[in-house]
Amino acid sequence: MPRPLDSSRPHFASGCRWGAHGENPVVLYPEGMIRVEGPGRAILELCDGQRTVEEIAKVLSERYRSADPAKIREDVASFLEGLQQKRIVDY
Amino acid sequence: MIPNPLALIAEITHRCPLHCVYCSNPLQMISAKSELSTQEWVRVFQEASRLGILHLHLTGGEPLARADLKDLVEAAHEAGLYTNLITSGIGLGETRLAALVDAGLDHVQLSFQDSKEEAANWIGGAKAHAHKVALAEVIRKFRVAFTVNLVVHRQNLDHLEEMIAFVEQLRPDRMEIAHAQYYGWALKNRDTLIPTRQQLENCLRVVGAAQERLSGRIRIDCVVPDYYARYPKACMGGWGRNLILINPSGRVLPCHAAEVIPGMQFDNVREHALDWIWRDSTAFQRFRGEEWMPEPCRSCERRSEDFGGCRCQAFLITGDASATDPVCTLAPTHHLIESVQLQVNSGGEKPGEVAWSYRGNPE
Repeated sequence: MPRPLDSSRPHFASGCRWGAHGENPVVLYPEGMIRVEGPGRAILELCDGQRTVEEIAKVLSERYRSADPAKIREDVASFLEGLQQKRIVDY
Repeated sequence: MIPNPLALIAEITHRCPLHCVYCSNPLQMISAKSELSTQEWVRVFQEASRLGILHLHLTGGEPLARADLKDLVEAAHEAGLYTNLITSGIGLGETRLAALVDAGLDHVQLSFQDSKEEAANWIGGAKAHAHKVALAEVIRKFRVAFTVNLVVHRQNLDHLEEMIAFVEQLRPDRMEIAHAQYYGWALKNRDTLIPTRQQLENCLRVVGAAQERLSGRIRIDCVVPDYYARYPKACMGGWGRNLILINPSGRVLPCHAAEVIPGMQFDNVREHALDWIWRDSTAFQRFRGEEWMPEPCRSCERRSEDFGGCRCQAFLITGDASATDPVCTLAPTHHLIESVQLQVNSGGEKPGEVAWSYRGNPE
């Protein structure tokens, strides 16, 4: 599957969800977990199946004002593509 | 500092309607009357969660053979565990699956023995294949992660491409191509299961191509047979480092096979807290860390990656559980593995001539 489009609405894939390891939030998926911090966590928290990639990038641009919006959009798409290949995210 | 375990493998029963020739259960199985009760498992899941465990793998035998499976899933979910069901699917239909998902089940891993019905039923020693195919369709109706596990070995590797195409049309999220690991029943049947070097090379090529073709649709993981590896596997991520296995009677082990090691005393959750067993029991400390290591492990730079390999395999092949895993090319006993390789790759039986032992059932 290719990268998400601006109009894609990313969400967790079936059986993937937030969990907690001690104080830290983690993403749980079959047979494993990933620790997500900083921007990765911010992106995933916005992936509710309603917001589009474009909208997610816009929210983050407002939060990280010093960063180039085009770069943010690119980073969001590439981060989600990686998780899609692990079957943790769908769009 | 002792790390927290991350996963609990709960063998909730050794009863199983299948008789797979490579079953990971021990040859000596636990009887139904010795199994932990519902309440005992519920307490164990709560203890596991407090110990920092994230994943629960409900397995067996066949976990569906327990009538209280829904209650166990519910209790695990409530304790905060991510709940995996490792199953043959026998005993599961739409109504029971709906109840399990409702109780908080996160993931179903369904095993297949082959793509062809006759071959699959031959390997599993039961007429199970057709039901599994129908069940895969049902599983996809639910919002639950779905993995297909395919165990591969000499008897089915020659049509791996066909098996991958078969699994593909079941539409799982993940596909696990697992080479049989030579413990328990698989060790008993090793001579008919171990692949040839050519089969292994072909397998890696086929899996690589499938991973590329199915990228983004089905995630493929492949577990290779360590008899052909240069270095041993980091078995279970190291003894007592990541993982706890509890057998149907409540005995706590660092892996599936550890009970084969003579002289070990494994403690039971009926008598001790899981936390104590993990941190302080003699069994869990026995091969934790590096103190026990012989040379060449002790001074090897890989010792913190593979932890000297598998203790059970060391015992099963060399007779000494403290030896370097003989699959390691640096091990003084590596010739024992080389002689198995030589035997496998110098001929072998023709199809139809296979004689093997089916897994039995507990009393």
